[in-house]
Amino acid sequence: MKPLPARLLKLVLVVAALGALYLLAVRGHAERDALRQAAVELTPDCRAKLSDYALRAGERYRSPYLLKTTGRTRDLHGYDDEDVRAIQRGCNIFDDLQGYLAKGGPRERWYANRFVRGTQTTCTHCHRGVGDRQDAAGNRLVGTNSMGASWVMADMYDRFTGLLLSHEWRQMQCYINSSNGFKPNIADDVIRDVTAYSRFLAAALDLKIGNRYPEQGIDEISASATLRRGDDYVRGAFVYRQKCATCHGPQALGTVGQDRVLYPALAGPNAFSLDSRMNFAKVHSVMPGFICRNMPPGKESSLDNQECRDIAFYLSTLPRPAGDMQGPLAAAWQQLMMIVMPPLTRYAESLPGNGDPHDTAEAR
Amino acid sequence: MDKAGGREEVAEQKSLVAWLLQALNRPAAAAAAIAAFALWAHFGSGVGTFRSQVSPAPGWQKFRASYGLDDFGADGYFVRAAQDGYNLFYYTNEYAWRFTRKTAADADHACAACHTVEDLAYGFVNSDRFDPGLGKRVSFEERVMRCYAGRMDGFVPTLYDPAVRDIRVLARAVAHHLQLSEGARRRRS
Repeated sequence: MKPLPARLLKLVLVVAALGALYLLAVRGHAERDALRQAAVELTPDCRAKLSDYALRAGERYRSPYLLKTTGRTRDLHGYDDEDVRAIQRGCNIFDDLQGYLAKGGPRERWYANRFVRGTQTTCTHCHRGVGDRQDAAGNRLVGTNSMGASWVMADMYDRFTGLLLSHEWRQMQCYINSSNGFKPNIADDVIRDVTAYSRFLAAALDLKIGNRYPEQGIDEISASATLRRGDDYVRGAFVYRQKCATCHGPQALGTVGQDRVLYPALAGPNAFSLDSRMNFAKVHSVMPGFICRNMPPGKESSLDNQECRDIAFYLSTLPRPAGDMQGPLAAAWQQLMMIVMPPLTRYAESLPGNGDPHDTAEAR
Repeated sequence: MDKAGGREEVAEQKSLVAWLLQALNRPAAAAAAIAAFALWAHFGSGVGTFRSQVSPAPGWQKFRASYGLDDFGADGYFVRAAQDGYNLFYYTNEYAWRFTRKTAADADHACAACHTVEDLAYGFVNSDRFDPGLGKRVSFEERVMRCYAGRMDGFVPTLYDPAVRDIRVLARAVAHHLQLSEGARRRRS
């Protein structure tokens, strides 16, 4: 049997360790509370968006969008100061998840970057226009992954997970697959604030619960929407070099500059994982639909369906992180390829006759 | 002499069971037993946990017609969840008995005692708002959990429990029928 002082010391150490953990948790909670109360500095896109929609605290909310598009107005339940800040933070996370545009860095985004492995991901890359893309006339655009439309159609059955997928769970999936990261807790501010933002968009756009709107999700393109010449990744690589490489880089590793992500990675360690629905090898129709409706910026809908499928096919052949479903061997293989392939590809493309097939002496 | 006879009889029975198990091939017998249990649980037991379909509670057919549930299909995951939500809402003591101490003997033993299903839908589209009483933003799910713990004198289900989720799905279905938008205010009659 141990002597009494030794046992007492052990007990004191255990109590002290537990007490320290408790104090750490209390400090964390206090820090979060302080952040919830702090004024939010919006990103430029969020400032424009939320100002257009007249977000402010008050007993009633009237949507300027509704007035502009229909000429009528409706009194909706208003927002408290705390609701307004949650919506603003949600928009900021959406536009700048990594915190590049925040003075306080990722802290102002609830450290949302701890849930993603790469350094480039942010929601607006896929959910265009900070989750609400419109043309100059204010028409909401088809297949732009609108967050407001997504909120009103949440809780429907999802064939990929076999679940009635709530808006919060869908966000978790985005963190895991599209961002190649980790699942936040459902009650985390990261999730709740983005939900608050989505719900505000639904209010501002006067979307009705359970209705289908064309801007929700992606306007998928299946093989039957082409001339059936067969998806061809070599053709895809050619079109990619012509239309996409200027922005996304020759190997689709993204472009970073001016302390922010200018164009996101479509392959490599900062890209979506093999489990993402954006991966053509997993779902054949999503990425082509996204490309056709949203790319290239300013010339949307200029690519035909087959070109979009070819580009998506080509992108799926590039190395990228494995998802949770692939297992350690596939993950190790992908990691190896992400290291080996870029220099090899650069070298191969530098060899004479291996570049653009049309860039011949005859053509010149 | 009698005791010895009894022991012999027990030994004989044991060896009979052992022989029977051997003759039946134990793995096959175990597989058959599991299959029999699954079939019984699904088709014969009548226990809700074992069935994928929701027990039809009184008034469901009228409710589904009144609130246009067929908009979401005659059957399906969403409709079944909404039906479960209906059961939870109108017969809370029966279908959420784990989360309430109320019984049929109590006057207010269901959500429907305090709310209408339309209240629920309006509550849903106005949730995730700051509650001055609680000093924080409160989600629809948290309100449901608070009802279980408070008015229903019971316990708090987790956020993922169908006892919470299916009430949200019911609220969503009714909100769709009423064509509510986010933040819709109820007109006073």
